[in-house]
This record gives sequence, C-alpha cells and structure tokens, in this order.
Amino acid sequence: MEMETMIGRGRDAIEMIVDVDSFQEGLIDDKEFDPELGPGAVIGTASIKGSTVTVIANDAMVMNPKFRVVYSGIIGLEEGYKMALAVYHTMEKDRQKAVGEKRAIVLIVDTPGNGPGKVEEIVGMNKSTGAYQLALAEARKEGHPIIAMVIGRAISGAFLCHGLQADRILSLSSKYQTMIHVMPLTSIARITKLDIERLEELSKENPVFAAGPEFFYKLGGVDEIINTPEEMKASIDQHINEVHELKINNQCDQLGPWGHGNLGLEREGRKARIHVIEKMESEYLEVIDQFL
Amino acid sequence: MLNWEELQESSFLESNARERAKGLVDKGSFVELLNPRDRFHSPHLPVLGEAIALDDGIVVGIGKIGIRPVFVISQEGRFIGGSLGEVSGAKMAYTIKLGLETLERIKEKYPESWEERRPTVVISFETGGVRLHEANAGLLAHAEVMDIIQDARKKIPIISLIGSKLGCFGGMGFVAAATDVIIMSEFGRLGLTGPEVIEQEMGKDEFDASNRAMVYRTTGGRHKYILGDSNYLVQDKINAFREKIQEVVHLPFDQIEQYRRIGSLQNVLQQMELINEALEINPNDAIDVWGFYGNENPETLLDLSFDQFMQKAVRREIR
Repeated sequence: MEMETMIGRGRDAIEMIVDVDSFQEGLIDDKEFDPELGPGAVIGTASIKGSTVTVIANDAMVMNPKFRVVYSGIIGLEEGYKMALAVYHTMEKDRQKAVGEKRAIVLIVDTPGNGPGKVEEIVGMNKSTGAYQLALAEARKEGHPIIAMVIGRAISGAFLCHGLQADRILSLSSKYQTMIHVMPLTSIARITKLDIERLEELSKENPVFAAGPEFFYKLGGVDEIINTPEEMKASIDQHINEVHELKINNQCDQLGPWGHGNLGLEREGRKARIHVIEKMESEYLEVIDQFL
Repeated sequence: MLNWEELQESSFLESNARERAKGLVDKGSFVELLNPRDRFHSPHLPVLGEAIALDDGIVVGIGKIGIRPVFVISQEGRFIGGSLGEVSGAKMAYTIKLGLETLERIKEKYPESWEERRPTVVISFETGGVRLHEANAGLLAHAEVMDIIQDARKKIPIISLIGSKLGCFGGMGFVAAATDVIIMSEFGRLGLTGPEVIEQEMGKDEFDASNRAMVYRTTGGRHKYILGDSNYLVQDKINAFREKIQEVVHLPFDQIEQYRRIGSLQNVLQQMELINEALEINPNDAIDVWGFYGNENPETLLDLSFDQFMQKAVRREIR
C-alpha cells in the first residue's frame, strides 16, 4: 500500500487549508510579485473562513533555474527574500489596523534546507533566511497571528526560518511521514558512536536529539499534532482566533519562541532552560547596581 | 590567565572565550554570570557518554565601557565546536534579555541622561551552530535568540565579533546577520553552509572543499568587508576589536540602523539588488565579485598586508 504523505504537496495543502478559490498567488493585496522571483516559495493572499490571510508555502516540485542548488522545496537566496517581502507587505497593508484585526500569516512548511551552494555563500545565504526570520518576528510583535503548519519536511535551518518564528506551530502526525529534525538519527549515531537501538531507547526518556514531530511536541517546539490533513483548516482557524485573543490581552509571552520555551517546561522536555534563566536573573540582581 | 594588559596585545584568533570576554571590556570590569563554579553544564551530554564543560562552552557576563554596561556573550570553539545546546542557548538568549532589562533600569535611574549610559550587547562568535547531541533543543534556542534580537531593535545595539578559529556558521550565521553591527578580522569567516556540504551538493569541480584558500575567500573577512556584510575589518588583536566597539557604542541609533544589512523592507530590497548583481557576475570565486565592484587586478588583494588591503580595497557601495 502506498504511504499517505503530504511531502511535496505544498500547493495541495494551500487548497485544503484556505477557502475554495480564494488563493491569489503572487499578490499581497495590491502588491504584485514577479512570477520568476524565487519559484520555490509560493506566496499570496487567501481567506480562511472568510478572514483574509497571507499564505507562505514551499513548492517542492519546481526548481529555480537561476540557482542550481534550489529545488525540492529548498529555500534559496531569492526564496528567502521573497518570503520576507511577503511579510513586510502584509505588515504595510495592515499598519493602521488594531491588534486583533491584523491579518494572520499562515506558513505551510515542507522544506529540506537552505540553498547550500557557492554563489549562496559568496553572496551570503545567511542574510536571506535571516531577513525572513526578522520579518516574521517583527510581524508577530506587531500583532499579526502567525501559524506554521508542518505538512512534510521541516529540517534544521530551513525550519528555523520557515516555522520556528511563528506564534503557534502545528504538525501533521508522523503517520504522514512528517519530518522535523536537524539531523536524522543515523547521523547522530555516527557522531556519538552509539548504535541506533541504544539512541532510540534513550530518546524515549529524552527528546532533545531524536527526529520527529512528537519529540518537538515534548520540547514545546510543536504546539499541536494534527491527525489528518482534513483537520488542518479548522485547527489553523482555531489557533488564529486563540492567538488574536492572547495578543489583545497582552499575553504574548505565551506565544512565539519564548512561549514555546515555557511549553517545553510544562511538557517536561526542556527543563534545564528555566534553571539557567532563574539562576542568571538572581546573579544579575546581585551585581547589576555596580554597573548602573 | 593573562592579565588585562597582556590580553590587549593578544591575538583574537588564538584567545579562548573567557580571555576575549575579559579583554573586550574595561580593565577589571567583567563579571561572569553562571561561571564554571555554578556548574551549569548540559544535562544531555552525559546521557550520550560525552564529556561536559562546566560553562557549557559559552562565557556570558557584564562589563563596562566607560559608563556603559556591556553584556558579553563569548563562544568557546574548543568545546564541541562552540555549538549551541539547551544550556548554552539559554545563556545566550537570556544575556540579551538582561541587557534590555538593564536599559529599563537605566531609564528609570537616569531619566535625563540614559542615552549616554545605554547598554550594549557584544557577541564573540566561534561556532558551527546547533549542537547535534541535543539538536532539537539547540534549534529551538536559536529561534529564541532571533526573537530577542528583534526585541532589542532600536533599543540596545548588538555587535557581532567574528575572528575566531571556527568562524560563525550554521544557524549562528543567521544570528550574526541579524545583529546591528559586524566587526571581523581577516581571519574571521561568516557563512551558513560548511564547505564539505557544498562540495557534496555541487561536485568537486565546482567547489573543492580541500582548496583551503578558495574556501577561505568565499566566507572570509576580506570578502565580507568588500561586500559590506562586515561593517568593519580590524587587526587580529583583542584591543583592535575593543577599540572598534568603543566607537560603535556611542553612535546614535539612526546611524546604527544604517549599518544593518537585513531587518527592514528597505534592507531586503537592497539585498535583492545584490542578488541581481551576483547573477550578472556569475562568480566562480569571491575574487570575481571584488573585480566587479571596482578592484583592478583583484587577485593582487590576496597578498597584501592588512594595512595595504585597507588602503586599496574598494567596497560595494550601498545605494
């Protein structure tokens, strides 16, 4: 039997998530994007249950003819900046709107990495996806709800830029071959010189190195696991509403990377972080007066 | 350990994280937070049978430059490649947060003159990014650092220093790019993907990871300075970095914002012009880029001394 998966189906996922026929590709309100710019990134405007959203997704079925290392959903130089532009234009559009009324940004995540090429390093690939991360962080702080939906691959630095700056992160269950990791367990085994069986055993107790959405769930890096693709739309809509509510009530520390840190503690996957923070704060309070 | 005066003349490249942290701020002013006696090490490494470091490979603390508090984050490449795990990541993120907390204290205490006391954050990078032994937690910590960098925008300047042996790569390449000011030495390297991965992706004919000089040029300080990604290029001495920090901490924020390469719509549009230029150049080597921006016989720049290079090099103009 063929395994069910959404890997490589970023465009299908858009159709499953947004209202029928509402997706306008390449358009953030009246700002039109050059269709040849960064084809590995799909951006546009749609509605979900009647509310306008910006959609940013990966298209794993195309390659960027200008950059040979960009295919299969890889985020290249152009893709990173295109995604950042989509965020900036979204903010621009809703500048006058109050928190609670600013449109949501929905990230549909299926990306195996950042462009690993020579020109990329000469020009500075780190800036491209770094720019996208800063744009998302700014939009989140301005009041736009940002929901990431992992439908396929969310790998390392590519997940860092396309996903981890969201308010809320959802993932399809691993039944759908969803992959979230920095490195597969085989690579961890090579580095640690421990065999896979031992690592799998250890990962039951400690989610920090193993690959898969359920481990990120325990660490607070995934808010919710979604069991079937059909449930994505309702769940995203619900999270958008919840995030709006939290932002209106100034409870932003429950959202985004900081909120995910707290969630990791609650779910007992990341317990060291809070000890570091508390001890640093107390040592800081002891000495800070001499620096003021 | 060397005293402060000796540290000033020391090679930045050869110095360890603690030496850099102490030497970059005023004499005797550095107070380390979570120092090794606190024994805040990674809880995850022993499980995998790996050795620990009592500071988890990162030195953080507070020093002074004049009357300004300076929050220092200094990575130790000799411990698992300066990589970021749960503990070292939390140390890094929270240090920036303490810088922001301090700004509020200073505003309260000096409502008239807080600006001349505005805190600064300095990050001395030596890292390949995420620590693979605790990769998931390390990745999440990176996201937290990026988030807090955005919080610090136009409030307290964040200055990156890159001149240590391992350079600044992986997810930390994003972090450095996201800071306000980047200071490099010619031994510093800044990028995202390591050379072996690029070779694997492109083939040895296109990118030979064993060609050290070529690899160095691709991400090295001289190239990043010509391109404008590094705002300053300094000598390989701790005091050369310290003196440059001293200049930057006094700058008003509208000027600091102009040093940024990313972080606004305007920045992104400028970077997209750079991509179009790169497509026009179609560089086989960083040297091709140097030629395009007005350096005649660009390969001759390679052999120049630091001072000669600084006189001769033509940099990309940002429009």
